[in-house]
Amino acid sequence: MLRAVFRLTATGARSLTRSRPCYSAPLAFRCYSHGKVETDEEFDSRWVTYFSKPDLDAWELRKGMNTLIGYDLVPEPKILDSALRACRRLNDLASAIRILEAVKDKAGPHKDIYPYLIQELKPTLAELGISTPEELGIDKL
Amino acid sequence: MSLPKPVMRGLLAKRLRFHLPIAFTLALTAAIAFKYTVTEPRKRAYADFYKQYDAVKDFNAMREAGVFESVQPTGK
Repeated sequence: MLRAVFRLTATGARSLTRSRPCYSAPLAFRCYSHGKVETDEEFDSRWVTYFSKPDLDAWELRKGMNTLIGYDLVPEPKILDSALRACRRLNDLASAIRILEAVKDKAGPHKDIYPYLIQELKPTLAELGISTPEELGIDKL
Repeated sequence: MSLPKPVMRGLLAKRLRFHLPIAFTLALTAAIAFKYTVTEPRKRAYADFYKQYDAVKDFNAMREAGVFESVQPTGK
């Protein structure tokens, strides 16, 4: 009898894990069955707007970045561009470089993401005078 | 040579969708295997031992061996 219960809960758990990632495109957090699901574009523009605030302070920059890093995604180049410009307004070069390190780490085993991001951000990095961790030699342990 | 845009969202979800069912299956298999290779033989061994076990005979053997304090061997 215990064996039957065991098998039942196990298959139940497995079907639950298969059905739980219900949205493949939008954000993988907050799987509501009710409520509107935010599209990727809405999410991106929300974050671009957040970092574009002219009087964003250092705390809000750090808070924003930490929250963004907590999501199951690598931020889009336009979000990172907005964040790097916020760093420029705050005269915070350290955070700018740290942002680059963070997104590289977020990509994890997917080694094609970071080079793409650097390619997309190259004009911004040149304009703002931000060196990449690779250029500074701090990407090696 | 411009790099194409890679997939940047839902990478963890994709990984979990693949690995979690495997993890659950393996864990379940390990538990079932342990049950049938260890616990069931053990239970059977105990049951078989006690099926023909004579407690009184065993007690008397121990008594003659002189290991008790409360009762002496029948000789004394």
